[in-house]
Amino acid sequence: MTGRIWAIALNTFREAARIRVLYGIGVLVLGSNLLALVLGQLSLNEPGRVARDVGLAGISLFGSLTAILLGVFLLYTEVARRTIHAIITKPISRWEFVVGKYLGMAVVLSVLVAVFGLAMVAMLALQGTGLSSGLGKALVLSWFEVLTVAAIAIFFSSFSTPFLSGIFALATWVIGRLAPDLAATTQQASPVIRITTRIALEIVPDVHLFAVSGRSLDGAAVSVHGDFVPWSYVALACGHGLGWIIALIAFAAVVFHRRDFV
Amino acid sequence: MADLAIDVHALTKTYRTPFTRKKVEALRGISFAVERGHIFGFVGPNGAGKTTTIRTLMGLIRPSAGTATLLGHPVGSRAARARVGFLPESPYFYDYLDVGELCDLAGRLFGLPHALRKRRADALIDKLGLGRARGQPLKKFSKGMLQRAGLAQALMNDPELVVLDEPMSGLDPIGRKEVRDLILELRDQGKTVVFSTHILADVEAITDRVAIIVRGQLQAVGTPADLVSPSLQGVDITVRFPDATGEPTAALADGAQRVRRVGDELSLTLPADADVDAWLARARTAGAKVVAVAPRHETLEDLFVRRVAGADQPAAAGQVAP
Repeated sequence: MTGRIWAIALNTFREAARIRVLYGIGVLVLGSNLLALVLGQLSLNEPGRVARDVGLAGISLFGSLTAILLGVFLLYTEVARRTIHAIITKPISRWEFVVGKYLGMAVVLSVLVAVFGLAMVAMLALQGTGLSSGLGKALVLSWFEVLTVAAIAIFFSSFSTPFLSGIFALATWVIGRLAPDLAATTQQASPVIRITTRIALEIVPDVHLFAVSGRSLDGAAVSVHGDFVPWSYVALACGHGLGWIIALIAFAAVVFHRRDFV
Repeated sequence: MADLAIDVHALTKTYRTPFTRKKVEALRGISFAVERGHIFGFVGPNGAGKTTTIRTLMGLIRPSAGTATLLGHPVGSRAARARVGFLPESPYFYDYLDVGELCDLAGRLFGLPHALRKRRADALIDKLGLGRARGQPLKKFSKGMLQRAGLAQALMNDPELVVLDEPMSGLDPIGRKEVRDLILELRDQGKTVVFSTHILADVEAITDRVAIIVRGQLQAVGTPADLVSPSLQGVDITVRFPDATGEPTAALADGAQRVRRVGDELSLTLPADADVDAWLARARTAGAKVVAVAPRHETLEDLFVRRVAGADQPAAAGQVAP
């Protein structure tokens, strides 16, 4: 089983590594780091703060957009180009195929997050800013955010076109990211809007759990520049993300299992 | 039962169109069997259901009704797929891989160990004449080369049953002959080969049994010799007029079919009940030298055309020849 899943994952990694737009995204992230360097110099003795904020935002934004891009295209093109015909007629289960595709994508995204993170760390080192455990925790959270978004994209891609999947995945990510703000904003709204928002927030993954810097948790301010969340929070958030990933991939596998490949 | 490579009973596939939800019957209760060690040809016009049948057998499409087994295992089961090699129609593979990587991927999915994957891939690549293109990505392959790469990946598991969907499609005459030879070689190795094609000459040349499918229904199943009518269909005659004008041709061609004149040579087909001796005497009187006289029997192409035309008439639907 693992051999077959690994074969698909390895092939997906090869496929994704050939997508040129990924290199463009890499350039964008490096560009955003350079921008942070310039903005840091313009700030009042806070170059490290600017570098961390811009760097983490870049990883979250570009990492998630990359996850959506890969998620909506890599599975869909297998069906559209019929490359899948020569694969699932071999003794591999359809769920193994879906899991393999996700794992291949996860490896690509992990490499991207690692490169983005290293670029940020290198920039901080250039500025002489010390590294903190908070930064490490924030990077791990961003990594899981990207992996969760990839699962969201694959889930939609299992039954929809890339365009619609992209829109659905983007909307789900944005709603999940803004969940606490949406809940707070609609508290004074009409019952219909409040209940609709509540339902929407219940059914989308809690991506906001991965972006806690600048928020207040249990009445205490959390910041990657100061008091950040403990490792136990990171473990719980990642566990929560993992639960969503498993559920979304399982659902995608069920949809895939029922499909005809004409 | 144990000697059957494929056993299909009342296989039905019904689709609904996406928006109008209109019912489309792609397969209408087809039944046939393929014995082990045979070459089985599947022919039919475009949209007849050949590819739907093959994709259903390969587990890509789920039947709406009916049953089918491959090598005694239900279609779509892992046990069946492990022993079958499949070449899809107009194969599109990961174009960034080279043929060795494609074979390696197939070998991994079949669970073959590394050394065996390497050995089989090398042997198949050489056998299929892709040795010189070994390092090239598949996107640089011609259609014929892609077809051969597809055959290589299909044979990685040394399958007992090989299913080829339009394997001759897009190949030049040499490529077609190579595929035909390969199919015969696979049969000689004791494998069962099932293939679909539009090229009836290929079916007639190499199949043990053939099925004709039209509009989702089997019109005929049997050996090519059994299917075609043994009765005389006409007499093919070729004569030469060394000193001919146009006059004798017009007179002699009266009542004949397939009349063709090239240079001083006249070829035509007389009806089965024609008086051939009398016609030849007339031709000789007109100055002709007889080159050839041969009986014409029904060909698979004649049968195919007859069955396809018959399927257009409601009364003919559902009649399956033995």
